[in-house]
Amino acid sequence: MKALPVLLALAVAGCGAAPSTPEPATAVRLTATLTTPIDIRLEWTGEEAGATGQIVEFATAPEGPWTILQFMPPEQRAYEHPDLMPQTPFHYRVRPLHGPASSEVDVRFTGVPYPEPANVDVAWADPRRLPGARAGGHPLRGGGAAAAPTDLKATVMTRDAVLFTWADNASDEAGYLVEVRPDGAAAWTVAMMVDPDVTSVGLTALPEERRASFRVRAYYHGASSNVAHRTTGLSR
Amino acid sequence: MPRRLLALVAAVATLTALGVASPAAAEPLESGPWTAYSPSFSVQERGCGVVNGLTFQLTCSTASGDQRAERRYATYSTGVRQFEGYFRITSMPGTRISLKQTFGPSGPFFMLAVERGGRLYAVHGGTTLATGATVGATVRVNTVHNTGNGAHRTYINGSNRHSQTGGSGGYYDKFGAYRTNSGAGPATVVWSGVQFWQK
Repeated sequence: MKALPVLLALAVAGCGAAPSTPEPATAVRLTATLTTPIDIRLEWTGEEAGATGQIVEFATAPEGPWTILQFMPPEQRAYEHPDLMPQTPFHYRVRPLHGPASSEVDVRFTGVPYPEPANVDVAWADPRRLPGARAGGHPLRGGGAAAAPTDLKATVMTRDAVLFTWADNASDEAGYLVEVRPDGAAAWTVAMMVDPDVTSVGLTALPEERRASFRVRAYYHGASSNVAHRTTGLSR
Repeated sequence: MPRRLLALVAAVATLTALGVASPAAAEPLESGPWTAYSPSFSVQERGCGVVNGLTFQLTCSTASGDQRAERRYATYSTGVRQFEGYFRITSMPGTRISLKQTFGPSGPFFMLAVERGGRLYAVHGGTTLATGATVGATVRVNTVHNTGNGAHRTYINGSNRHSQTGGSGGYYDKFGAYRTNSGAGPATVVWSGVQFWQK
């Protein structure tokens, strides 16, 4: 992860009403700006040491519920939230993600994609903890390379679906992210997220993922940024 | 990158683990004043549809017939109505499953559906509303319907993704999992934080 904080000189016009109590110090400082009455641009500075990714979330009440808008690489520093509900309060926060990934596996599909399902048993695709899977014993926090998932296997089950299995070595994960990098793509992206302790799940590949690499990452959340707030105006 | 609603999956991360707190704190969207209300509903299970609380399943891959697992809410015909709910697709080996509908007097007025690969679309017209969200993550849906002028807006994760007008008469909200004419299960959809407002 890059450790180069990006200094953004934008005013904190988007932070809304001042909180009644001081906010805790966080590595990530977030501002929200109305670029039109119904478009909001988020920009932030700083990053949490060791973060392997981050998410931006929104809510329309300060206490949530929060909804993920995007998974992002740790170096990303801006996000556009467009065409918003008019005259509505929007609250935002950025949360670092930490945790090591497994080794990657390559998946290659052949044949015609997306056959119509026809009375097939797809129970194998449900996320589950495999019988006999050993309980992870290594904490992610504090480094935790030993907590990385191991023994990742990809078994092509249909013309477009693959079963992933792995060993759970983490004792304190918030869950697992299945990440994908299609052939020719530079970046990994998150394809799905599953519960802690899951060690088996199926995925249907998108057309661009019929030749791709996959890996599984155990993760936990770092400290949230401050909450930035803006209220949208009238629609255009 | 909520870039898609995953096809074959089932993430089961809890709302808390995903950063989605209690839905009780939600607020209506757009300017008010809004008044919360709790319309009655009936549960509809047809074909291989199974409803368990707010979990809606199509357990078969049958590509014909009536396959539905839904809640059908009470009819309204006046005022401006807002629906809010959060869905998570926890398993969808199938495709083209309708998730939320605003029904009119002459049939579905608006149908939000998802197809294999993750595209959210309007069934009538096929307009893409969003390329989805990462499997296991939660997607927020708000619809605002003005019965006075027929305007109906659909917001996905806060952004207006679909607008239409027209129609009059009685309407009602439905959500769950419903096989569209070109779709098939299996699918499991978990809804949460469902609320209604009017003004």
